[in-house]
Amino acid sequence: MSEPLRILSASGQLGYGIPEPAFRAGLARAPSMIGADMGSVDPGPAYLGAGKMATDPSMTKRDLRLILTGARALGVPLLLGTAGTGGSRPQLDATLEMIRAIAREEGLHFRLASIAADIDPEAVIAAQSAGRLTPLGRIAAPTPADIRASRIVGQMGMSAFSSALDQGADVIIAGRACDTAIFATIPIRLGYPPALAMHMAKIIECTSLCCTPGGRDAILGHLTHEEFTLESMNPIRHATPLTVAAHALYEQDNPYTVGEPEGTLHLDGATYHAVDEHRTSSHGARWEPATTLRIKIEAAQHIGERVVLVAGSADPTFIAALPEILPAVEATTRSLYPAEFQLYPRIYGQSGVNLWTPTSPAGEVCLFIECVAASQEIARGALTVFKQYLLHHGFPGRLSTGGNIAFPLTPPELSAGSAYRFSLYHLMTVDTLDGLFPVEIETL
Amino acid sequence: MNIRQAARVIRSKNAGPLSVTIDIMFDDRPRFDRAVQSPALAPAAIAALYGIPAGDVVVMPVANALAIKISLPRAVPAGSPGDRDIYGAQQHAPLLEIEL
Repeated sequence: MSEPLRILSASGQLGYGIPEPAFRAGLARAPSMIGADMGSVDPGPAYLGAGKMATDPSMTKRDLRLILTGARALGVPLLLGTAGTGGSRPQLDATLEMIRAIAREEGLHFRLASIAADIDPEAVIAAQSAGRLTPLGRIAAPTPADIRASRIVGQMGMSAFSSALDQGADVIIAGRACDTAIFATIPIRLGYPPALAMHMAKIIECTSLCCTPGGRDAILGHLTHEEFTLESMNPIRHATPLTVAAHALYEQDNPYTVGEPEGTLHLDGATYHAVDEHRTSSHGARWEPATTLRIKIEAAQHIGERVVLVAGSADPTFIAALPEILPAVEATTRSLYPAEFQLYPRIYGQSGVNLWTPTSPAGEVCLFIECVAASQEIARGALTVFKQYLLHHGFPGRLSTGGNIAFPLTPPELSAGSAYRFSLYHLMTVDTLDGLFPVEIETL
Repeated sequence: MNIRQAARVIRSKNAGPLSVTIDIMFDDRPRFDRAVQSPALAPAAIAALYGIPAGDVVVMPVANALAIKISLPRAVPAGSPGDRDIYGAQQHAPLLEIEL
């Protein structure tokens, strides 16, 4: 059997802090390429709509520096998908600016490819009127005005990355992209079986999430013509046949099929076997090339401005009457304040979390985390990282490995203005009042 | 047996912005089999628990992962005004009191 192709997945969510020891361990294994995913629709429409990154700029640049210097030191291709959280033009540009700055700072020289993923609204309107726009679930049909008011991206597949590689790119920074394309394009160009390459890509794009305990550490995929093997670069994270098989369920409606622009991956025939206690191999997935070319498109539309009110109560009579109190107060407000607005109350402790039913039988809490720092940027940056690690923190007895908290808003970090404290409330003894309260005169 | 004792993982997450998918994972085949056969995890029972029509509920056993997947259409697209759970990560809670 020939030497397997080694592919290092550095991050499934670049910008929240790539654990460095595992990434360095991956570099030491001399991978043939490094890939990282930087975004998705998971954090909601706000980032795509605003064209802004969800991640903290300084942490994002730190992660980009890690993978860029790592890939350039080895002289292997670096492929990054869904730049800047949503993968739209301004998000791609912001990522490219960081890449250029890091290259300048580190004295790196390479061929940089960027691939935009923005879709012309008129093309979407034309597709809609031609019956070529199919919703992927329940969503209100957008009007042409909605579409024109939206920022729209399409998920690129392997052909876009391949085209950049054809043009000699060392580093590819892509807008919205299928996470599989980041990791499957190079193996398939090299002649490896598409089913194996795609299946491996689908797992390693989440780094060590397929392991027990799951985590964010870099993972190495070893690919041959017969099978692929997964090996976390953190020795405490083990890929077992059960955990890898289970990963196919993650964030997927249907664990047996994965739709991609170039085809469909069928996992019903995939089998998994342990190489040792740390590594698992798989084969048996099937790849069905697409007969109709379809891309997934995503769009976010600005619909208004938002202010939130957070408050508590400890009065049992008030709490019990809240379902009647809130509509009454809203009616009073509307009678006095005639401009158009919408209110969406969430009563934590009663009905703040569950999407469908009015109550959450298991009980609920509201976390109000105050962060104070020297600037809005630092306070927001720290809370951005805190938020993500709170979402995925492991704890004894944890069942809910999809995430620990429900965010009512996106972005969940809300500016609450400046913070102050009283620093003096004293009596001061003085010898004289002379000169203490000078009076200045200004002529206008 | 309470589902919290029977399952190793009970998690929910968006599968795209228009649906929520819930995974219940078991440590061994007997527990998985018991859950697959339990009327408490039939689509009608899940629908009643979540207050949605039974036709909206898809329940899918995944034997090689010793897991049961439940997929539901979202009440509100992720992140639209009025959404309560952007990631859909806390929608497993109604299942936690189930007896298998």
